[in-house]
Amino acid sequence: MQMFLVFFLWSSVFSDPSRELFGYNREKILTYVFGILVIRAIVLSARAVDVAGEISRGDITNYLLKPINYFRYWFTRDISSKALNLSFAALEAVILFFLLKPTIFIQTNGAILALFFLSLVIAVLTFFCLLFLVNIVAFWMPENGWAAQFLFIVIIAEFLSGGVFPLDILPIETQKVLNLLPFPYLLFFPLQVYLGKLTIAAILKGILTGIFWVVALAFGLRQVWNRGIKHYEAIGR
Amino acid sequence: MVDHLVKDFEVTQKEPGLAGSVRSLFSPKKKQVHALKGISFSVMPGELVGFIGPNGAGKTTTLKILSGLLYPTSGLSQVLGYDPWERKPDYLKKIALVMGQKNQLWWDLPAIETFELNRAIYEIPKKRYKETLDELASILQVEKLLKTQVRRLSLGQRMRLELIAALLHNPEVLFLDEPTIGLDILGQEKVRDFIYDYNRKYGATILLTSHNMGDLINLSRRVIVINEGRIIFDGALEELVGRFAKRKTITVYLTKEIDIKEIEHIGKVKKVQFPQVVLSVPRTTAAVAASEILQNFPVGDLTIEEQSIEEIIGKVFKGETPAKAKG
Amino acid sequence: MKTLTRYFKVWWLMSKNSFMSMLTQKFGASVFIIGKLLRFGFFVAFIFFLLKGANTLAGYTFNQTIFFFLTFNLVDVASQFLFREVYRFRPLVVSGEFDLILSKPISALFRSLMGGADVLDLITIPPLIAGIIYVAGFLNPSTVHITLYILLIINGLLIATAFHIAVISFGIITLEIDHAIMIYRDLTNLGRLPVDIYMEPLRGILTYLIPVGIMVTLPAKALMGLVSAQGVLLSFLLGLAAIFISLRFWNFALTKYTSASS
Repeated sequence: MQMFLVFFLWSSVFSDPSRELFGYNREKILTYVFGILVIRAIVLSARAVDVAGEISRGDITNYLLKPINYFRYWFTRDISSKALNLSFAALEAVILFFLLKPTIFIQTNGAILALFFLSLVIAVLTFFCLLFLVNIVAFWMPENGWAAQFLFIVIIAEFLSGGVFPLDILPIETQKVLNLLPFPYLLFFPLQVYLGKLTIAAILKGILTGIFWVVALAFGLRQVWNRGIKHYEAIGR
Repeated sequence: MVDHLVKDFEVTQKEPGLAGSVRSLFSPKKKQVHALKGISFSVMPGELVGFIGPNGAGKTTTLKILSGLLYPTSGLSQVLGYDPWERKPDYLKKIALVMGQKNQLWWDLPAIETFELNRAIYEIPKKRYKETLDELASILQVEKLLKTQVRRLSLGQRMRLELIAALLHNPEVLFLDEPTIGLDILGQEKVRDFIYDYNRKYGATILLTSHNMGDLINLSRRVIVINEGRIIFDGALEELVGRFAKRKTITVYLTKEIDIKEIEHIGKVKKVQFPQVVLSVPRTTAAVAASEILQNFPVGDLTIEEQSIEEIIGKVFKGETPAKAKG
Repeated sequence: MKTLTRYFKVWWLMSKNSFMSMLTQKFGASVFIIGKLLRFGFFVAFIFFLLKGANTLAGYTFNQTIFFFLTFNLVDVASQFLFREVYRFRPLVVSGEFDLILSKPISALFRSLMGGADVLDLITIPPLIAGIIYVAGFLNPSTVHITLYILLIINGLLIATAFHIAVISFGIITLEIDHAIMIYRDLTNLGRLPVDIYMEPLRGILTYLIPVGIMVTLPAKALMGLVSAQGVLLSFLLGLAAIFISLRFWNFALTKYTSASS
């Protein structure tokens, strides 16, 4: 539904088709909007939002007893959820496409497309780690586990990942700071790659930063997880 | 005192469509559930009546219609001269509804806050409110619990506070739905004693529903048995036992092991746990059966008892016809 | 009159209780507030930077756009403040506690609608109003415009009330109201920016069907002196009609009430 807001917003800003703003023209910005819809389904949809609930209800004990890797379990569930959401998003995109009839920019450069997919993979992994980290806060705060998730995922990640507006409308200094954080690499960066707005150097720099974050978050996740489990068992639920 | 008669309460068809509806996306199949198939009864002011019936029999539905919650499909009901469905504030101020395990108390707050709220809702004058509250709190022994968060209390304590919340406005009619459910023996007794005393002291008319035999035996003189939306029996409890109890129970303690099949000739064996054997025999032949057992089997001890009320009522539910009256 | 004071007193006590309940969950409450503030801040920043580059949005200047956004927030927050209890309606019916509410001599509608005033939202209202007054200052409205604005905001709240009543009436019949509420929220959220940016038929839907346009965009436009007398009249009529219909619906829904089984 928010799609409408965003789409019409940009439509109206770029009502003059030759207008160029923030490095976008009408075609590119509308592609951005549609792209967000699809990429969001790939990156941001996850079942791991339930982890906090599982922890606070004590259901996690069941899984700890079984010989499965908790992370892999959830990751697989996430992937299946993403597949489902992707099909819905694709459907939505097609319907909206016919309703709104925008002109969409199709990337044709093979190398760029490859890098695009790579950035998507990084995005998925980053989000997984982030989401999981935020959920296992529930080990220490079972009553309020949802709070961290709400704050970080619903609010912060939404905006800072480019989900509501493309980050380039912000001043350069702000963008530089943001690019040091993992958020832009979830949605914004992959789309930028796709739209061909970055030089190869910039793409590579972005990918490296992205990889850095995946590694850092994964490592952090592991650490916090171990501490969390110890705490959980100490409470003895 | 206004005459409190519930008359001619015939509700022929109710259509909730809940019980067991199979739902499909495009054509939900709704089953018509006839919760009440035309029941009638009246209650005099100050009476304490117990409704009993198996799950889904319609007893809670009856209570809900009388308290104005549900809209009867057909038929009349009248309580204190009002039509309950209209839910006039004046009517609602004279009744109270308590449902076991459903809370009106705010969970995170001390009970006293809910009481204050009720005071405003029922417009109870301050002085009377204080008197009633103090009295009820001391009878139910919860004076010290009034300022504790409700979530921290045990079920029994909460139930007692719920009762207070419901009685602050001195209702003339009290509807109690399963008031003792989930409570331990002690808790049940306390609630029962309280209800009994309240009835005696204030003359409030009390209608209660229960599965718990203890409630009925100890509380109500008059019982109404409902099964599948119809009243099967309405009268004193003793009469119920008399009419429906067709069998007696013989408990035998044997000194030696025997072949159970032999004793099965005499009566229906209900339980075998050496040295105890429990049999059920027809009332009329109980004495004969007892002497047969004494003669033919190695008996250490033998007792003859009435069937337990539970069994009797269970039989009533199953639709066995009573000994003398029509079914 | 006596009834009104009584109802107000009950509402006051319920809100007080609600507030106290909230205090027992301080952490959750503060996180919630922070989250909301952040979201608000982000969106304002967005509007700022957008209009810095683009100059106008559907013909409206930066100040005007911000004003639309602020008005939206006012109506949105005010209705959440008053009607927070509606979000708890479904559990109330499912658990059977609704029965206990029905059996009290206070309108069950009142209780289910307004019994849980959300203090957190209340706190955010004064700063919003301050912000509105501030931005409005830049737009130089006349007294007539200001009066119209206030009246239309009230009208907008009336429509919101009607909608919430309709939702809980549905809740009595089907229990599937969580989705209805979400759809409502989604649609009203489209009102963050002036409805003019949308093409027909969406704009029509938003103006007449789920009248976000009337609730939010119209009052703001009134302040800017951009509405016609007919438009205003029509919207008042709509507001009154909405309330009337929703109340009827509620009474109807009660006859269909089936109550949790026991």
